[in-house]
Amino acid sequence: MDKINILVIEDTPEEAMALQEILVENNYNVVGMANSHQEALTLFYQLKIDIVIIDVFLDGNPDGITFAETISIVPNALKPFVFLTSSKDRQIFERAKLTKPFSFLLKPFNELELLYALEIAVEKFYEQTNVFSSEDQDTIISNDYLFIKKKNALNKVHLRDIVYIEVENRYCNIVTEKERFVIQISLGKISEFLDTKNFMQTHRKYIVNINAIEQIVLNDNLLLLKGNHKATFSGKYKDIVKGFNILK
Amino acid sequence: MFFLFVFNLPFFVLSQSEPKTDDFSMALKRINEKHEREKDFNKSQYFFLKRNWDSTLVCSSRALGKMKDSELLDYSHYMRGYSFMMKKLFNEAKKEYGLVSQDFRFYYKITRNLGGIALEQNKYEEAISYFDKLEKLSNDDGHDLLRSTVIHDLGLCYFHLSQFDKAEKYLLKSVRLQEKDTLLLISSYMDVANLYYEQYKDDEAIPYFEKAYSLAKKTKDFELKRNATLNMAVVEENRKNLSKSLAYRKEYETWKDSLNDQNKVWEIAEIEKKNAVEQKQREIGLLESEKQIKITERNGFIVSSILLLLLLGMGTYFYGQKNKINKVILVQKEALNQLNLTKDKLFSIVSHDLRASVNAFRSSNKKLLDGIANRNYEALDSIVHKNVSIATSTYNLLENLLHWATMQTEQLYFNIESIDLFSAMQQIEYNYKPLFENKNLYLENKIPKAVFVLVDLDSLKIIVRNLLDNAMKFSKEGGTVSVYVHDSNDNFQYLIIEDGGIGMNKETKENLLKEGKVLNKKKNQKGIGTGLGIQLCKSMIGKNKGTFNIESVEGEGTKVIVGFQKFMKNG
Repeated sequence: MDKINILVIEDTPEEAMALQEILVENNYNVVGMANSHQEALTLFYQLKIDIVIIDVFLDGNPDGITFAETISIVPNALKPFVFLTSSKDRQIFERAKLTKPFSFLLKPFNELELLYALEIAVEKFYEQTNVFSSEDQDTIISNDYLFIKKKNALNKVHLRDIVYIEVENRYCNIVTEKERFVIQISLGKISEFLDTKNFMQTHRKYIVNINAIEQIVLNDNLLLLKGNHKATFSGKYKDIVKGFNILK
Repeated sequence: MFFLFVFNLPFFVLSQSEPKTDDFSMALKRINEKHEREKDFNKSQYFFLKRNWDSTLVCSSRALGKMKDSELLDYSHYMRGYSFMMKKLFNEAKKEYGLVSQDFRFYYKITRNLGGIALEQNKYEEAISYFDKLEKLSNDDGHDLLRSTVIHDLGLCYFHLSQFDKAEKYLLKSVRLQEKDTLLLISSYMDVANLYYEQYKDDEAIPYFEKAYSLAKKTKDFELKRNATLNMAVVEENRKNLSKSLAYRKEYETWKDSLNDQNKVWEIAEIEKKNAVEQKQREIGLLESEKQIKITERNGFIVSSILLLLLLGMGTYFYGQKNKINKVILVQKEALNQLNLTKDKLFSIVSHDLRASVNAFRSSNKKLLDGIANRNYEALDSIVHKNVSIATSTYNLLENLLHWATMQTEQLYFNIESIDLFSAMQQIEYNYKPLFENKNLYLENKIPKAVFVLVDLDSLKIIVRNLLDNAMKFSKEGGTVSVYVHDSNDNFQYLIIEDGGIGMNKETKENLLKEGKVLNKKKNQKGIGTGLGIQLCKSMIGKNKGTFNIESVEGEGTKVIVGFQKFMKNG
């Protein structure tokens, strides 16, 4: 699991520092700190960023919203934002609302509120709401990552790093080359959001990254995967594997 | 001596004055009826009776060319002769009369007319021979009038021939015969008078003149009157009775004038008529212009009355409108007054509270300074904690104030979405736990995970914070405030904040629940509290379409129950 990369756009140094402190403490990775609209844009395109925290007012102008509007226009560049503001001025918010699903946080805020706002931003952005607050799910699946809530913070796993997923009731064991961990998500949800080009179910319990398959032992119904991992495939899913072999 | 104005009109003209009724015209009609086919004759006799001489001549000349009947020829010639005579063409008349045969029934008329013509042409002896023939011929009574005129004319002839004794004889005879006809009589009188006068027999002449004059006065014939008057004037003049003569002269002048002026009178009458017409025309013009003026006036009146009505209507309308507006304004004014009053009250309470808390802060800081000075470090901890709590509650007050203000101006951004009550409570708890612990109270969050309600997160936080503040305020030392939810079958999820504090009586509770009742100053309070908090809660709950209720037992504790709409996953 990797830390979430955050870009903080905040013109008040103390608040920026406070934010950074909380984020770092909660296992987030603050990759950049910008204090102007221009700098923010530069950093945004330079760095690999998962979430942006934007103060609405930069030097007294609602440049935070201007920034959000700017990146909204660029296709595929948009990331989840959290707007920081000290007042819920209707006009500003009506304008912010036009950008994209967003999360906002009213100053002053405490640690939990900030973390919650980050979660909501991710939920809304990937259109999978009420996930992190629920009891039966702690993961959101995007095109590239799994966003997993561990303790209070979010982590991410790149989908291409996953070797296979072992489903057990309401839990899933995510196995990468290096580590292995449990997430809370139903098989249905996974099948709904996972990219079928790269992942396929081989067994009632296994979902395998196609790119991680190294060898197929048909006799034993066994798949040999990267990093010496093994997964079985059942008769029910045999045909798919066959087809896959022929294609290969 | 003056010459007399002798009047001697031949009577043959006058005798024919009524041709329709005399024997000749009757005979003519009878002849005409007998010869209906002779169209030209019919026409000529018709014109003859109408005394249209020219037409008679034209028609009769045409008739003469066609007819052979000697009787009709005689009548035609007679009519032509008579017509010529009336047109004073005496020689032509004589020729025509000459063509009439001797045995024509009215041959005596021809003789008479020939005599008249001779008299007219001053051939007195020829005339006398004709008249003598006639006198011998006509002795019947039917020819009385004819006879009298013949005799008169005979008298005239002799008069002109200066055979006065014969003239006297005939004229007096004619006077006797003409007593029935006034006009003829007057003429005859005058002729007789002239006769005597010519012979200087004034005494005999004058009575005749006077008779003529007095008779003439009664007639309408101006010529007769004139002549009679002139004669009288001459007579009086000759008698040297000049004043009388002058009077007659004047009378004569008037008659002459009236005769001459007959036409002038007509002209004058015409002119007068014209004048009158013009006058009338002018009057009509005047009336018309008056009418025009009246119409204009009337139109003006109508227009102005319409305008006035319009003005009145508009006035009434605007007055009504103004009244309506005034009423609205009055209501608004009252509302504004109320609001302003509330605001003023709020101001005073808030400033009072702020002053109190800042004052507390100041004195606490003084203690802190004292503690530092006295190196009494043990006390510092509690003082600083106290300061933090004062600062927090002051901050809360200001926060409420801010939210209140933004709510009132509708500037608050409101975004209702599905919120997990547990997470929200966790975030609030994070700030409140230390405050509770500081007061030696315990805050218990019994909300299960994943309870989703539809609410605006920030307003939910404001509501819960205020309610927790209250719970904290009214809790007893060491008490517990628990927060939990009650799931109901209706669409609401109830969030309950329960304390085991002092509770409240029914009246207080109802006052708190009452809609729109702002700023109830609470009794049992020492610290900060304006009633603004609860009011803010209520209006925010309202905005979230939630419900608000309080259950309380005095001395045992209070339950504040806030209902929010459940979030349904499929809608």
